[in-house]
Amino acid sequence: MPDPHASTPMSVPVPRGQHLVRGAKYATCKASLLALGATFELVSAMVPEMKDEVSRWEDGRKVGIGVLPGGPFITIENRGGAIRYVGSGLKDTDLNVLFKNLDSAVLIFTGQLGSAQAVAENRVCVHGDNSKAMQVTRSLALVQTYLFPGIILRNTFKRPPALSASQLATKAAIMAMLVPKLAAISFR
Amino acid sequence: MSMLPAYYEFICPVKILSGRKALSNLPYELNLLGMHKPMVVTDQGIVKAKLLTRVTAALKDADIDIACLYDRTPPDSSDRVVNEVAVLYREKGCDGLIAVGGGSAIDTAKGVNIVVSHQTDDLLKFQGVDRLTAALAPLVVIPTTAGTGSEVTNVSVIYNETTHSKMAFMSNKLYPHVALLDPVMTQTMPPKITAATGMDALTHAVEAFTGLQKNPVSDAFALAAVRLVTQYLVAAVKDGDDLDARLAMANAALLAGVAFSNSMVGVVHAHAHATGGVAHVPHGVANSILLPFGMDYNLDKSAADLAALAPAMGIMAPGAGEREVAMKVIAAVRQLKADLKALCGLPETLSEAGVTRENIPDIARKAMDDGSLTYNPTEMTYEESLKFLAGAL
Repeated sequence: MPDPHASTPMSVPVPRGQHLVRGAKYATCKASLLALGATFELVSAMVPEMKDEVSRWEDGRKVGIGVLPGGPFITIENRGGAIRYVGSGLKDTDLNVLFKNLDSAVLIFTGQLGSAQAVAENRVCVHGDNSKAMQVTRSLALVQTYLFPGIILRNTFKRPPALSASQLATKAAIMAMLVPKLAAISFR
Repeated sequence: MSMLPAYYEFICPVKILSGRKALSNLPYELNLLGMHKPMVVTDQGIVKAKLLTRVTAALKDADIDIACLYDRTPPDSSDRVVNEVAVLYREKGCDGLIAVGGGSAIDTAKGVNIVVSHQTDDLLKFQGVDRLTAALAPLVVIPTTAGTGSEVTNVSVIYNETTHSKMAFMSNKLYPHVALLDPVMTQTMPPKITAATGMDALTHAVEAFTGLQKNPVSDAFALAAVRLVTQYLVAAVKDGDDLDARLAMANAALLAGVAFSNSMVGVVHAHAHATGGVAHVPHGVANSILLPFGMDYNLDKSAADLAALAPAMGIMAPGAGEREVAMKVIAAVRQLKADLKALCGLPETLSEAGVTRENIPDIARKAMDDGSLTYNPTEMTYEESLKFLAGAL
């Protein structure tokens, strides 16, 4: 007679739909992180405010951005004042900015939640030096400014950026170059 | 901001003992924690004020001997000190820590706890949030100031002597197991330090109540802290032997500590940290100076929250609009600053605290890199920070 008090591992079946949903979230995050990496490269080359921000980073600083517990992740690096997308995964990073789960990451990547609010809701954690994390946060805000449409910026920023005509032109140029850039970095 | 945020987290696992002769319960608590060979971490100021003898007397009553005493904690804790203390901890076979002092002694004890529990001497790799993996040794905190609230926070800040930067460690494992508030332990604080640390507590409470991470639980703690500071800070400054006022202020600091540990701080702390780093202004003094300026800066976004502080500060303004009430609250804080200056010379402006115009760009740059700014309801740029500091000069 089986012992009713014996502990046995229980395998709880997960509905197939849930696998698909998880897969979609993962794919959204992976695509978003790739877009982030590409935009980092473009913005650091074309936007003076970003060049000024990155000028305070030490050369070779590697920053990981990604989703706990199992990814996706990307690494970006400061090379001589320009941000370069290194590749997917965490590659000897000095600092990591990590979303606690896929749901939290999707909210930010799809423009439903701003970065500051995400931090306030404990959805993000930083592994590394806090002051460097603030520098990365500011640069992320600049990337978002040139990646997201105005309506998302108005809903997610504490103070939505007001872009001048020349900044809007730069944004349009970045958008035009984004797809070729994505193609170029996809295989790093 | 709505009372209920879309999502929040709150934790406070610290057992709090508060009252006259609370120290007499120390042996009982050590026994519950299984601490038979405690290490005491404190500083020379505590020893000279004969506060340590109160602790040892409480332990002697129960035949508990201190296994190791470290009484040379500097005003700013460093990794070198932490590693030095950790070596002693291991050599003496200690099984727990008792921190007696202000923020520095408490942070040192927390830092030592990280090192001894993780079998390491490299604190750098634990920097950041939720990096600790091992269970920590039991930690009892007996605060001797009524300001930092470190007895109920999950943070430790340690200066790295190699990189010349401050390392911040945040983990729920860093919460002390017990916080013991006995008014005799803050009785010897001089008036100016009583005032500065009391204003530190008020700043914690106000920023926790008005920040992006506010939640209904931390709000309750913050309001209680504001009420106690309003009622008792001046009394504690006027008469250090008023044990009711001392106990009230110790509780205010603890309550504010619980609040800000769960909803963080903002623009005032970002600039106070930077002012301390650049111009060596004590933390409580900097917070006191900058608090009304920070409240002013956030007025547009935080009028409702600031106005909600009015009853706790004894401000009645029937029929007044939200913004008008918020401005009365800010005025009350300015008045409190003026009263404290008259009583004990607590500086009201940055220049009175020794900050020069030449310091301002460095302070602003450092403030921009302070994580507290993330939680401030109003965005701030470097240029705005320069203006903010110039206004407080």
